[in-house]
Parts: sequence; structure tokens; C-alpha cells
Amino acid sequence: MMLSPYDFNEAINQRRDHAEEGLRQGSPVAGLSLDLGVLLITVRRTQRKVYEVYDRMMLSAVGNQSDIEAVRIGAVDVAHREGYQRSPDDVTAQRLVGFSLSPVLKELFRDQWRAPAVVRALFAEMGKLPADDAFFALNYDGEFVRSSRCAAVAGTPQAEARMVEELAAVSIDVPLGDAVRAGLLAWAGAWQSVATDTGGRGQTSDAPAGPDGALVTLAEQLVDGRVEVGLLDRASRRESRFRRLGEEELAEIVAPLRRGSGE
Amino acid sequence: MRGESTDLRSAIAGPEPVLALPVHPGLSAGAPEASHGQVAHGTTVIAVKCLDGVINVGDRRATASYSVMYDQAEKVLALDDFTLLAISGSYARSIEVVRYLRHAFRYFERSQLQPMSLDGKLSEVARAVAAGLSMAMQGLGGFIPILSTWDPSAGEPRIFFYDAMGARFESAEYGAAGSGSVQIRGAFEYVVRTKSPFRQMPRADALREALRLLDIAADLDAATGGWAKVLPLARVITAEGIQDVSEAELRAAVAGLAQGEATFVADRG
Repeated sequence: MMLSPYDFNEAINQRRDHAEEGLRQGSPVAGLSLDLGVLLITVRRTQRKVYEVYDRMMLSAVGNQSDIEAVRIGAVDVAHREGYQRSPDDVTAQRLVGFSLSPVLKELFRDQWRAPAVVRALFAEMGKLPADDAFFALNYDGEFVRSSRCAAVAGTPQAEARMVEELAAVSIDVPLGDAVRAGLLAWAGAWQSVATDTGGRGQTSDAPAGPDGALVTLAEQLVDGRVEVGLLDRASRRESRFRRLGEEELAEIVAPLRRGSGE
Repeated sequence: MRGESTDLRSAIAGPEPVLALPVHPGLSAGAPEASHGQVAHGTTVIAVKCLDGVINVGDRRATASYSVMYDQAEKVLALDDFTLLAISGSYARSIEVVRYLRHAFRYFERSQLQPMSLDGKLSEVARAVAAGLSMAMQGLGGFIPILSTWDPSAGEPRIFFYDAMGARFESAEYGAAGSGSVQIRGAFEYVVRTKSPFRQMPRADALREALRLLDIAADLDAATGGWAKVLPLARVITAEGIQDVSEAELRAAVAGLAQGEATFVADRG
């Protein structure tokens, strides 16, 4: 079957709309690279959202759970095969995203006979020094963006831009609690932004705009939602640097935010 | 049934298996007995329980035939945060298997989002031992491990040992493997029956007994190294995880041992 250029563009746009529609409802993820390590910070309702990929790499994403799962397990497969056959030193996010994931997602996105994956994934990798840390945001169409100090994935580009702006202001030497709180405020700002942009889900009727609004939104969302934080710990002596912050640890960090006002 | 997501995963990962321990074919039946030739072999490793966990000690010698290849070999290796594998037999094969097992355990945990069960880990080790059987039969590349771990569900340490075909046995007190383990087997029983069960000994006592047994193995087995030049390797697993026994602690234990025995020999003389 032949497609005219018009059909092709039309089809691509429809697929893009379909994917974006699915992503819009996702809970954003904030990424921070700091002296203490690398953080992925989010708020979840049901499913777990932050995953270990390899010794110094983790992943979180917005999108359909089944698509996220496929990308996640595929990435874990590739990383472990490479790490065992060669060396853990050869497993890098750049190779994984650029050579294993991106081409497959691109092909799937352009294949008229299959539904595109609805996923926007954020890979975080810790190097020896903070300057070597890297984030890769990978989109459903195979496009990916590398960044270093901070990164975000969210339901809309505006929300992502807003998050990145806030996260970039976080100083590199902050302690863990401050970093998580800053990440959560950025998360709430993005959540608000998605709601305003789309007039859809996630809106908080009476929350004012700006930083105060983010605090109110966050306090509201934390009633049902649960904070989830993945840490690649620079100080750890284990080969596997990943850990998820525990319930108690998080409860202490999040307590000041639950009240819906600053400290 | 294969859904979309399975397709996406296999499109990413490709058809090759993720982790496959290489199985060497071994030599053909007509091959000459070159077997013990140039292959480095591990020697004596010991695991004993103590009050707060389990101690592993191993000598540092790697031999090939009558040559000492290396005197700093590490034969007590961590598979994960709570599991040690003490290895004997072909050093090359052991290291490959340890690399494989580390990846296999982590791969399971990361892909399945739950840690592999103790039973699952023991079966993986058994398969890795059995896969080397054809090599072991020809005196090439066989290896036999002892697995020590902290079992969080039981709240106590566990020791497992294997035979060459991969059969798994659990030991209540101690385990030993390697060419020097045969000579000291009865000595373990003697200690348990005349002094105290290892699992009731304070850590320092159990460490001293384990080192004494290793020293006897080094005296009686040509392929087991003593510690005249290089200290043995000792690691402990407790409820908190794996720790190296510090050089100072090891030196003190070894010195105490040497002094005690010197006095004893002097008294006899």
C-alpha cells in the first residue's frame, strides 16, 4: 500500500496525538544530580515508578504501564547481557538509549500496523563525579535528549520546562531532605501546569498560581499519593548504588510539606 | 500469548539469551592426560558458624601442577550483600561462575522486582557446578564451592556445600572444600566434640579455630598456602551484611595462634 506524503504526515500526527494524550495524565518525574548522588523524585498512586536498571543506572517514566514495563525490562536485559559479556564499565546510558532503545521506539512509532508505545522515560546515570552524571529523556518516537545537572519528564512540554527551571536552581551540595523537597515542589508545579494547560485532570480548584500554589497542590496530592524517590548513592561502597528511600526516611523528609505551607 | 509489550521488549533485547554461563566441551576422550597441566587450582577454603554469623577463611595460593601461580588469590567472594561463595578447584572457572552468579542474582532482582529466594540461588549455584562436570571429569576446570549466607527469614546463618555433580547439602556447623579439606575433615569434628559447637563460639574463638584448621591444611597439603608471606583472607556475614576481617584482627589471631603453639611445642621439648 502506498501512502502519499499527506497521508504520512496525517498518520504521524494522529499517532503523536494519541501518545501525547496518554502521557498528559502521567505523574511527572524530577531528576537531580548532586554531590550526594543522583535522585529521581516522583509521586505515585498505585504502581511503583522508579526502577533500578543497572549498578549505576535507574529509570522512571510517564506513560502506559505496559509500555513502561516493556522498555524497562528490555533495558535491564540489554544492560545485563552487556555487563556480563564485557564489563559493567561498558554499560552506559548513552549506549543503552542511543543504540538499543531509541531505534526500536522510532521504528515502532512509524509502523502503521502497530500501536505506538505511550512512554516518556527518564534514565539517570551516576558517574564517578557529579560532572559525569547524565540524564537521558527518551520519547515514544525514539527521540532522546541528554542533560546533566537536572532533568524532568512530565505530561506536557510546558510542565517539563517549568520543572527544569526550578530544578536548575537547586544547589549541588544540598542535603538529601532539601533535595527531595525541592524535587517535590517542582513536581507540584508541573502537576499544576499540566492541569492549567489542558484544563483536564489533576487540577486543584482553589490552589493559587506560583510557589504557594505548588505547596497547596502538593499537600493535596500527598493525601492520596505516595512519594517515591530513587537514589544512586555516591558514597555507597556497594557495586549496586541504587536504593529507594524507605518509608520512615521519606515520612520525615515529607512531613513539613504535608501541612501545605513553607517551613 | 504474546502481546504488544512482549514484542517491544524482545525487539529491544534481541533473540540472544541475556545470561548464559559458557559450558566448555572439555577435551575429547582420546586427549592426552594434559589435564592438571597449566590450569590454576584453588585449594583450602573453610566456612564456620559463630555466635553472630558465619566466618569464611581461605588460603591465598593458586597452583598449577607443582607450580605456585599466584600467592594473592581471593577465594572468598561476595555474590550479593549477604552471600559469600568460597571456591575451590579451577580458579578460572570459579571466577567465571562467580561473575555469572552475581549477574544472575541482580538480573533476577532488577527484572522481577524482588530478590531471588535462597533456594533459587542455591539451585543456580548447583547448575553452575554441574555444568562444569565434563571438565571436572578430565581434571580440567572443575570447581566446588561452599555457599554461606545470612538467612533473614530464619534469622540465622546457613552453610551449604556441594559435590562435583551439583548435589547440595546443608551443614549445621562448618564446611570445607579444596584439596586440603580432606586432611582436616576429622579435625572439625574433634573441635566440635571436644571444645564447643562452632555456632556457640564467640567470633574471635571461631576465627582462631578456623585459622588453625587452615594452618593444618597448609601443613598437610602441598597445594594450600600458609601465611608466612601473605595473610589468609577472612570474611564474616552477620545480620548487617558482609564484612572483611580487618588485617589487624587477622594478624592478632594468627599471632595468638603461633604463640600458643610455640609454647606448646616448647613445653613438649
